[in-house]
Amino acid sequence: MLGRVLTNPLAGSARAGRTLNTGHTTAGLWLSEASVHIGGNPIVESASLDITPGTIVSLLGPSGCGKTTLLRSIAGLQRLSSGSITVGDVVIASDSVHLPPEQRRVGMVFQDGALFPHLSVADNVSFGLRGWAGSSDRANEVLALVDMAGFGDRMPGTLSGGQRQRVALARALAPQPSVLLLDEPFSALDAGLRLQVRRDVKKLITQIGITTIVVTHDQEEAFALGEQVAVMSQGAIHQVGAPNDLYENPASPWVATFVGEGIGLAGSFEGGYVSTAIGSLPARWVSASPKTAGASVIVRPEQLVLTAGGSAEVTDVEYYGHDVRYDVTLRDQSNVSVRSLSPEFKVGDRVDVNFVGTSVPAWPA
Amino acid sequence: MAVSHGRVPPRWMFGHAIVLAAAFLLPGLFVLIRTVGLGGDLVETLGDSLGPLGRTILLSTTVSVSAVVVGTGLAWLLVRTDLPGRRVLRVLVVLPLVLPSFVGAAAFLAAVAPGGPVHSVLGVIGVVPPRLSGLLPSWQILTLFTYPYVFLPVAARLLAIPPSLEESARLLGRTGRQAFFEVTLPQLRSAILSGGLLVFLYTVSEFGAVQLLRYDTLTRVIYSSRLSDRPTSFASASILILLAVIVVLVERNVRGSARVNERSERFTPASQPLGRWRAAAFGAVGVVILFGVAVPVSSLTVWAWRGIVGGRVNFSRLVMPAINTAFVGTLTAAVAVAVIVPLAVLVVRYRLRSSSAISAVVIAGFAVPGLVIALSLVSFAVNTPGVGWIYQTLPLLIVAYVIHFGAQAMGAAEDAVRAVPDKLRESSQLLESSALVRARRVDAPLMRPSLLSGGGLVLLSTIKELPATLLLAPIGFRTLATEVWGSYEDGRFAQVGVGGLVLISLSAVLTWFLVLKRSEAVVAA
Repeated sequence: MLGRVLTNPLAGSARAGRTLNTGHTTAGLWLSEASVHIGGNPIVESASLDITPGTIVSLLGPSGCGKTTLLRSIAGLQRLSSGSITVGDVVIASDSVHLPPEQRRVGMVFQDGALFPHLSVADNVSFGLRGWAGSSDRANEVLALVDMAGFGDRMPGTLSGGQRQRVALARALAPQPSVLLLDEPFSALDAGLRLQVRRDVKKLITQIGITTIVVTHDQEEAFALGEQVAVMSQGAIHQVGAPNDLYENPASPWVATFVGEGIGLAGSFEGGYVSTAIGSLPARWVSASPKTAGASVIVRPEQLVLTAGGSAEVTDVEYYGHDVRYDVTLRDQSNVSVRSLSPEFKVGDRVDVNFVGTSVPAWPA
Repeated sequence: MAVSHGRVPPRWMFGHAIVLAAAFLLPGLFVLIRTVGLGGDLVETLGDSLGPLGRTILLSTTVSVSAVVVGTGLAWLLVRTDLPGRRVLRVLVVLPLVLPSFVGAAAFLAAVAPGGPVHSVLGVIGVVPPRLSGLLPSWQILTLFTYPYVFLPVAARLLAIPPSLEESARLLGRTGRQAFFEVTLPQLRSAILSGGLLVFLYTVSEFGAVQLLRYDTLTRVIYSSRLSDRPTSFASASILILLAVIVVLVERNVRGSARVNERSERFTPASQPLGRWRAAAFGAVGVVILFGVAVPVSSLTVWAWRGIVGGRVNFSRLVMPAINTAFVGTLTAAVAVAVIVPLAVLVVRYRLRSSSAISAVVIAGFAVPGLVIALSLVSFAVNTPGVGWIYQTLPLLIVAYVIHFGAQAMGAAEDAVRAVPDKLRESSQLLESSALVRARRVDAPLMRPSLLSGGGLVLLSTIKELPATLLLAPIGFRTLATEVWGSYEDGRFAQVGVGGLVLISLSAVLTWFLVLKRSEAVVAA
C-alpha cells in the first residue's frame, strides 16, 4: 500500500488550474515519489499524492511520522532528496530543481501563527503584497474574509489565539497563492475555540476553492476538514481516501485503529465468515484472499450491541451524553469496547455481545 | 499572578528601602553639589573639560558601534549559519569577558613591548610594532573586551525567535536576506540596544585601559587631577554622571515599550548555508578569538614563564592580594545580596509603585562610574566632620562596591523572591507555624540558587574592579587588580603576567558558573 496514488476520477485532468469567483487561481498538486533524508535518516520515503485543484487534503499521522517535513518540502523550506513536486504544470522541486520558497506561490499557516510581532495586523497581512497596486484594499478585503475587519491597527500581541490564527490565514491568502498549507493550525487553541475556528476556516477555504493541505495528528480534525485524507506513518503515506472510505475500508489494521477506535480480534476464516470470541462475523478480505485459515479482523465499537444476561461482564461505563461506551470482558478474558445509545447497563452486569454491522475487514493472521 | 490584596509590608522594609535609595543616590548628588560648592571658575573648568568629554564620547560611541557590529555579527554567524564548530566557538567568543579591560590592555602593551610575543614574532620579519597609545588602540582593545555584552543577549534572542517568522517571510515573497533585515533584525532591536547601552556605560566609566593607553578621557582627568585640581576633577565627574544619565534616558526612550514577548522556548533555527563565504566567516571568528583571547593570554603567559624561569616572580607577593581579593569580593557579594533582597521583596511581592522607583535608583548606581563613586566617598569622608576615620577603611570600600555593583544582584534577587510564590508560602504556613522553620526549610532552599548567582555576579565584578579600589583601599591592602596595576606601573611584566593569569583564572571559573551556565541557551543549543 506504500505510496498508493489517490484514486479520484478528476485527478490529473484539470491540473492546469481553474479560476474561481473570488479571484483566486488555484492549481493541482502532484507529489511523485518524494523522499526527504535528513542527516542520513529517511524522514519521508517516496510519498506520492495527486491532488485535484480546489481539494482539501488532510495529512494525518502520529507525531514524528514526517508529515510536517513533507509539508515543508512543498513550501520549499526543506529540500527533497529525490522525487518531485509539481504545482499546476510547474515542477517546483525535483532532483535538479529547488524553487526557493519566495517563488513558489505557496501560502502557509504555522502552528503558532508566526505573526510578525513588530508589525500591526494590517502590515502583517500586506507583507506579502509588496508591489501590488491597491495592497491596502486587498489587505482589508482578506481581513474581512476572516472576520477580522477593523483589527488592522492592532498589534499581534493584543490578539487572542483564535484571532491570531485568523490573521495568519488572511496573511497567507492575501497574495493569492496557488496552494495553501496549514501546519497543525488549530493545535495551539483550546478545545471550544478550536472547533469554531476550524469550521470558519473550512467554510472559507471551501468558498475560495483553493487547493489545501492540512497537517494534523488529530483524526477527528483530519476527517472534519479533509475531503481526502492521507494517512502517514514512519515517513510513508499508507492510504489515501475519503474519510468514510478510510474508516470502512482501512488498508491495514494499523490504519484501521489509527483513524478510529477498533477492536482487533483473531479467529479462523471459513466460508466468508471469521469465527471470533464474539461469534461468527461476516468478513471481507482487504488484500487477496489468503491460503491460511487464520485471520484477524477489526470491529468498530458501534458495530456491537449488548443484551442483558450472558457470559460477558461490563467492567467500565463512560457516559458521554450522546452515547455510552462500555468496556466488556468476554468469557475468554479478552476485552472489547461497545458504543451504545442507551445507558442501560452498569459495572458488573452480565451481558451478551452481538455484532450488528454489515461486515468487518479481515487480514491473514 | 497573585496580587497581594491589601497586604502591607512591614514598616522596616520601607525604612530600609529609603535608606538604600539615599545611599545609592548620595555619591552622585554629592559630586554635583560639591562641584558647585568648590566654586572656582565654573565656566572655565567646564570649558577645560570639553576636550576630555569629546574624547569620552568619541571613544564610547565608536566602541559601542563596533561592539554592536562584532557582537551581532558573531551571534548571527554562530547561531544562524552552518559554520563548522559553532558550538565550541560560542563558548570561545565569550571568553574575553574574563579579562578585566585594564589587564587586557596591559597584556597587549606587554605583547608589543621588546621581549613580548608580538614584538618577537614581528621581529622575525623585521617589523617593530608601534607603542600602543591613543584613540585607535583604545577603541580596538575596548571593543575586544566588550562585544560579549552584545553577543550574549543577541545570541539568546536569536535562539528564541521562532524560525517560522523568517519562513513566513520567505513564503510571502522575501529572499533570505530580505527576511533577515525585515523580520529578524527588528526582533533583535531591544537586545542590541541594551547590549550597546551596557558597552557605552562600560566605556564611559573605563579607567584602567585608557590610562595605560594614554587616551585622555574624563576618567583620566578625574584621576590625575583629584588631588591637585579638585574643581576640575569634580566638574569632570559631574559631566560623566550627566552623560551616563542622558544615555540611559535616551536608550529607554528609543527602546520604547514595544518589548517583544520573551519566550522561554528554544528553537533550532534553520541554518543558513555559508557556501563559499564559509572560510571568510571562519577567519573572522578566528581573528576575534585570536585578539580577544589568544594574544593577551599568551602575552601574559610568555612574561610569566620568563619570570618564573628567571626566578624574578615573587609568588609570596601574590598570596595576600589573592586572599584579600577573595575576602573583599565575598564580603561585598554577601552585603549586596543582604541589602538588596528586602527591596526585591517589596518590588515582587508587594508590587509597590514607589519601590520600583527605588529599584531604578539602585540600577542607576551601576551607571555611575566606580571612579566617580570612589571620588565622592573619599571627599565625603574627608570633608564631613566626624566621619573622617572611615576613609581608607574596608567598610567604605565595601560601601562603594555595593553601590556600584548592587544592581547586578537586583535581577537575581527578584528571581529568588519569585521562586517562593504566594501560593507556596500560604500552603507552607498551613503546614508549619514557625516562621523561622519555614525560612530554613522552604524559603532558603528555593531562594538559594538565585541568590548565589546574584552574589556571584557581584563577586565577579568586584574582583575585576580597579579605580575604586585604588582610591579607597586601606593603605597596604592590595588586591589582585591593584597588584597587577602596580606591577605594570613598575615595569615588572613577569609579575603582571602571573598576577594577570591568576586573576583571569579566578574570573574564568566564576564566569563559567555564572554567565555561561545561565545563558545555557546560547552555549548548549
